[in-house]
Amino acid sequence: MRSVALLVIALVLLAGVGPMLAPYDPTVINIPKRLSGPSAEFLLGTDALGRDILSRLLHGARWSLGLAFVISVISMIIGTTIGLAAALGGRLADWVAMRTTDTFLAFPELVAAIVIAGLMGAGTWSLIFALSVTGWMRYARVARGIGLSVQSRGYVVQARLAGLPSWSIARWHYLPSLIPSLTVVWTGMFARAILGISALGFLGFGVQPPNPEWGSMLLDARVHLRSTPLQMIWPGLAVVICVLAINLAGDALRDALAQQDAPE
Amino acid sequence: MIKTAGGLLLRALVVLSGTAILTFALLWNAPGDPAQAIAMARFDALLTDEVIDQVRAEVGLDRSFWQAFWAWLGPLLTLDFGNSAVTGRPVWPDLWASISYTFPLAFAALGIGLIISVPLAILATKRPGSLLDRFAVGLASIGNAIPAYWLGLILILIFAVKLAWLPALGASTPAHAILPALTLGLGVAASLTRIIRSGILEARGQPFLPAIRRRGVSDRSVGRDHVAPHAAIPVVTVFGLELAFLLEGLVLVEVIFGRPGLGTFLVQAILSRDFSHVQAVVVLTALVFVVVNLVIDLIYRVIDPRIGESNA
Amino acid sequence: MLTVSDLVVKRGPRVTLADISFTLPAGKTLAVVGESGAGKSTLIAAILGLLRPSSGEVTWDGAPTRDARPALVMQEPRAAFNPTMSLRRSIMEPVVAQNISLAGGRLERLCAGLELPLDLLDRRPDQVSIGQAQRAGILRALIASPPLVLFDEPLSALDAVTQKHTARLIAELQAEEGFAALIVTHDLGYAVAHGDQIAVLKSGRIEEIADAQDFALNPRSDYCRTLRDAAIALGALEAVA
Repeated sequence: MRSVALLVIALVLLAGVGPMLAPYDPTVINIPKRLSGPSAEFLLGTDALGRDILSRLLHGARWSLGLAFVISVISMIIGTTIGLAAALGGRLADWVAMRTTDTFLAFPELVAAIVIAGLMGAGTWSLIFALSVTGWMRYARVARGIGLSVQSRGYVVQARLAGLPSWSIARWHYLPSLIPSLTVVWTGMFARAILGISALGFLGFGVQPPNPEWGSMLLDARVHLRSTPLQMIWPGLAVVICVLAINLAGDALRDALAQQDAPE
Repeated sequence: MIKTAGGLLLRALVVLSGTAILTFALLWNAPGDPAQAIAMARFDALLTDEVIDQVRAEVGLDRSFWQAFWAWLGPLLTLDFGNSAVTGRPVWPDLWASISYTFPLAFAALGIGLIISVPLAILATKRPGSLLDRFAVGLASIGNAIPAYWLGLILILIFAVKLAWLPALGASTPAHAILPALTLGLGVAASLTRIIRSGILEARGQPFLPAIRRRGVSDRSVGRDHVAPHAAIPVVTVFGLELAFLLEGLVLVEVIFGRPGLGTFLVQAILSRDFSHVQAVVVLTALVFVVVNLVIDLIYRVIDPRIGESNA
Repeated sequence: MLTVSDLVVKRGPRVTLADISFTLPAGKTLAVVGESGAGKSTLIAAILGLLRPSSGEVTWDGAPTRDARPALVMQEPRAAFNPTMSLRRSIMEPVVAQNISLAGGRLERLCAGLELPLDLLDRRPDQVSIGQAQRAGILRALIASPPLVLFDEPLSALDAVTQKHTARLIAELQAEEGFAALIVTHDLGYAVAHGDQIAVLKSGRIEEIADAQDFALNPRSDYCRTLRDAAIALGALEAVA
């Protein structure tokens, strides 16, 4: 838990404070200084339009991490709702919910997101929609699995006998048991969302210029691979470091929970 | 067993129907006037409303949702993808040409992934927790965090730009496939290493193994007869995931390396709003994945009969 | 009045309950005695409406029992409480769910009757003793004044002293509240001491159903005789012997 807390603090700081540390406006074009290498003036150099790469990178953190957070939370809400509906709603609801989940799982998530975002028209809203609607299935499976194991517990039986409506039972008696596992799934999906956002950005289907987003920065940098190869290193490195940190924190959290459950 | 197989088959059909409806709904609701987009792509000139309406009727975009859905579904059931509304050419030959580029690349990547991950995982699990094991796990973690497009660009930078050993863009010679295959293969290796490693460790933890060892069976044959099959279970089940991972990577890698193939085909189709091409890729992919998952489910139940109704 | 008529419950090919029929008038106590596996838990679930019988009917005053909102006291005292909530919140759940306006001082009166200090209710289930948890469970069952309360082995998780104490409190509260009680137990002594009627359940069938005193003095079937003699030998039925 502590590692995850630390990580969340670090990422919030990066996305919250990072842009304030940026030396320049990330969208200001400065053609005379275009494609300059690292210097005292531009620590990481400038891109093809003379924009400061460091500033774009720091502002990009807000786009990449912020959007990834929004997407992973939206998909958590969708998935948990569907999973709990499956666990609580009786056999028909369970069947419908699980076959829907299978249907969405039948297709590689990122490819589906590319198709959806592409057909909807590039932009931030299509990006959020495409990645959320293709990212909820794991939450649904976990929520359903735990939900089914919770339903025979004494306090759930008692709540039923008391006449508590299903959604209240879900809220008060199922959700607390779900939170640890959902957090583990969330770390994984948060990392996946960062990768997805930058992948879509790289293909030109995601966040649109002039907004600095790591994937679309890579797309810009790709053209100038020969002249300024370093330009392409930074956004990729930012993605790798964030994803790696999140995955490691997720692993630590999963191990901690497994140890907690083990003696029982 | 037959009942289970029947249930799984029914489930696969339900999933396929769901995919068909979702795909069509997506195409149907895509913003913008598809008729106009198609007409523009085809004629590439200023268009009158009459031309656009003509295209609309020709492509069948003037009907109601369900009418259009059934009309759309009919030919698909025989895997007849029709003609592209944009290029006017039949879809299959173009699609097939892309697949013929993508398949060898996917196989090469899978091969590279296996060649790296299997020995690495076996070596790593000889002494769990050892330096080598940690190295393998660390490498896999980093590999999992590196996006394929970035790795591809770095490989291009090193081997094509700096060293000039290998060609970077296009697909004209087999050498052109080396960097893309490596890019994908390293990603596959990273995820497979983790899976195989934990598969082996879990299989070693099987409660019956000490008893077999006590009977004097050699370590080697214990490994071959008892550990390997158990380690294979997670590998078989993640094969579907791995295939998904490959396809996701393929789309990006083909774009980076400017290679023709299924991925570029799809991205091009999306950009030119060529619905026939998009739906062909989507339907074909869904079909492949549903069949693969069906087969995996069946194999899974054959290897490990304990799994059955519990996760039905 | 609880009416169970021709109740049959099948689980797959196995019959877990067969041809169960009995009635339990309001305010009275029926003790169901049986070994583990006799179908006691299934009977409770069927009466509460938690599972659908294969055939037969369970009604309270002619309507499905669920409409009467029967309450249940569970064998495992702490399991009845959500571990993340205070006891008070769980106890008030039936009141909130059924939108009942609680008579002034009812909670305090019940607490006093169950010898539960009021401030104990603000603890979580793992912060009270098993005996306290079970009395809180009884409180929760009674709070909404249900006409029928089912007790599933209410004493078996408790030690001997606490058992006697809890049994006495249940009896006193029943006299006060007037609910019908169906007590499932494997303890014949408890059954005879507190039940108006005794039903013996064996392999999913009712072996014998009789007034408590008749049963203790003169069991009709061999199985019930053996059961009674064993109870006497164990000193659980001193009163009769």
